[in-house]
Amino acid sequence: MTTQTIPPAKLDVNTLSLDSVSLWQITRRRLFRRKSSVVGMIILGILILIAITAPWIAPYSPTLSMLDVKPAQDIQKRSAPCIHLLGCPADQPEHLMGTDGNLRDEFSRMLYGARLSLIIGLSTVSFAIVIGTILGALGGYFGGWIDNIIMRIMDVLLAFPSLLLAIAIVTVIGPGLINALLAIGIVSIPAYARVVRGSVLSVREMDYVSASRALGGNTYEILFKRILPNALTPLIVQGTLGIASAILDAAALSFLGLGAQPPTPEWGAMLGSERNQVFTAPHLVFYPGLAIMLTVLAFNLLGDGLRDALDPRLAHMS
Amino acid sequence: MLEKPVGTGPYMVSEWVRGDQLVLTKNANYWGENIGAETLVFKWSTESAQRLLELQSGTVDGIDNVGPDDFATVEGDSNLALFNRPALNIMYIGFNNNPTNEGFDNAANPLANEKVRQAIAMGIDRNRIVDNFYPAGSEVASHFTPCSIPNGCVGDEWYAFDVEAAKALLTEAGYPDGFETVLNYRDVVRGYLPDPNVVAQDLQAQLKENLNITLNIEVMESGAFLAAADAGQLQGLHMLGWGADYPDQTNFLGYHFGAGASLQFGDKFEDITSALESGAQLASDADRAPFYEAANNAIRTHVPMIPVAHGGSALAFKASVEGAFASPLGNEEFSVMSNGTDTFVWMQNAEPISLYCADETDGESLRACEQITQSLLGYEVGGTAVVPVLAESYEVNADLTEWTFKLRPGVVFHDGSTFDANDVVTSLSIQWDAANPLHTGNTGAFSYWSGLFGAFLNAPAQ
Repeated sequence: MTTQTIPPAKLDVNTLSLDSVSLWQITRRRLFRRKSSVVGMIILGILILIAITAPWIAPYSPTLSMLDVKPAQDIQKRSAPCIHLLGCPADQPEHLMGTDGNLRDEFSRMLYGARLSLIIGLSTVSFAIVIGTILGALGGYFGGWIDNIIMRIMDVLLAFPSLLLAIAIVTVIGPGLINALLAIGIVSIPAYARVVRGSVLSVREMDYVSASRALGGNTYEILFKRILPNALTPLIVQGTLGIASAILDAAALSFLGLGAQPPTPEWGAMLGSERNQVFTAPHLVFYPGLAIMLTVLAFNLLGDGLRDALDPRLAHMS
Repeated sequence: MLEKPVGTGPYMVSEWVRGDQLVLTKNANYWGENIGAETLVFKWSTESAQRLLELQSGTVDGIDNVGPDDFATVEGDSNLALFNRPALNIMYIGFNNNPTNEGFDNAANPLANEKVRQAIAMGIDRNRIVDNFYPAGSEVASHFTPCSIPNGCVGDEWYAFDVEAAKALLTEAGYPDGFETVLNYRDVVRGYLPDPNVVAQDLQAQLKENLNITLNIEVMESGAFLAAADAGQLQGLHMLGWGADYPDQTNFLGYHFGAGASLQFGDKFEDITSALESGAQLASDADRAPFYEAANNAIRTHVPMIPVAHGGSALAFKASVEGAFASPLGNEEFSVMSNGTDTFVWMQNAEPISLYCADETDGESLRACEQITQSLLGYEVGGTAVVPVLAESYEVNADLTEWTFKLRPGVVFHDGSTFDANDVVTSLSIQWDAANPLHTGNTGAFSYWSGLFGAFLNAPAQ
């Protein structure tokens, strides 16, 4: 008779630690599994690379008129793209995306524009997140009249279409890139304030918070170390999507002449200043338009991916 | 009065939908001939691409200011006809140099220094601007007034482009490293300025490159810009222009730099105003020449502005429109045009500001007024010769101080009342007499009157 001995279950510490994965690892895994978010990340990566290396890869200064280039180039304003590799005669100066109405190299302006757009997106959203988080956390944690005042102000801000409100703010404080950023930052505050307040409300009465309170933690510690980290997930999603709309709003303001002032190479402003040449020099509206679209698309794809990846209700999909 | 004036012209206002269109209908009791359509519609769009598109699609019959890059498109289209408008205009860069307005600090304003203004005048390559950013038919301005106007360009030619001399002047004035100021303009296309944004940015680049002067561009709404310019409230430099209303120096130099001119260029210069005053009082071109020569030379010295270009522009009509023309004065009359249907649609650059044109200076308003209200004398169709309109004839005494007009009989207003001498006196006194209860106009500036006659009756003490 043969007896089969079943080996006793051993607790292997090493295996266990391999199996336990952090929330961030799950998120990353889910994110990379989605094709659309990968596409978004690739576009974004290229944009960031362009933005960082713009001064080295741009053939000209973004504000330099070809009329000031020495030796003088024989070139017309709003000339079509000239790429030597694609058969443009070698005796003509190369302009990958042609020249604009002021005989500036459109390609160089596009590269610097990427830098500007990313700065716009990140700075406005950071501003809005910081202010929105503080306001939302205070309102959600303390409740009562503080909550009432803060949230009613947020409601008022939310009542206006964001672009309209931004235009109104810029009209009051005057046009200019910084003012436009400030306006867009202000109008995006309510979204973050509401998100944070909602999260704070949902975790405020949880056991671990009560435990922390029972242990004598002060308000600051409870709010910023116990509660807020748990409100981070929706904030990240909202922020990523918010960058897209901030870039779009900034481009719209610049298009209307309320944002970046000439000669700043901002995509929206470039689009706006050449809008009348849409039939005679289509490349001058095509490239900035395409660039805005791609940037916004990239942030939206990434934001969507992040939302799905961070959503615990979709856990079964992992 | 501002919205629905009652005049004697071939058309009367039927409806003005602000922001959309101005609808005029034929005046059945018009004393003259009107072969135009029953309904005349004024539309507007600031975008040259949109104007052209509407013309190509047939929704409008004529457009103003074809985009500089679109001339060839229109000429190549057999359904459209291009009409070049002679360059009877001026684009200039104005300085508000020594303003008396509150809020200005003249001690800190580099532009209050004549040498700085001269330096900027020499430091801008005007040929480069006209060659690159103006359509064919434009020319670099040698003087403020176009040469086709009598005594227009007597006196020395404008400064040649000379960076070294400009830098030397700027150093002498105490600004060797340049300074920072603003460039104001309105983003509207006019015959004298077909592509304002591009010209503004080129100026910005040139002054930075040549003189290290930093220009911050400030684009203003058209009406607000004109009002601020007239009131002398524009800081720094501004780009503006002028299209002739009538071919005379009083309409150019007199209006801008005479004793009665607005505060646009700050304080007046005695030598300019006195020369202009003497010139305006004489009738013969030869007698007036020395005064205008002196005025032109004084303007060259003081540089209240830099004349840049006389801009060529063009109108486009459907080829089927009969009687289409381009007026050098910009006052196209639609009662002589016919498209064979009962509605004629005209699309210009901008909406009229108001229809009380004694108190408007913008050509887009004046053109609409030309269809509705009339004056004693007018201009031949498509030309600059003076013809009688509401006056059949006039006599002048030897001193040019007494003018007698014989009014046209049988003229009735749109509301049916008969036109007589009282109407003329009332119209004039409203403009002249500051105490007249109707002397409010739109902005109340009545800058044509003060530009022409120097002062108002009962003007409030300043």
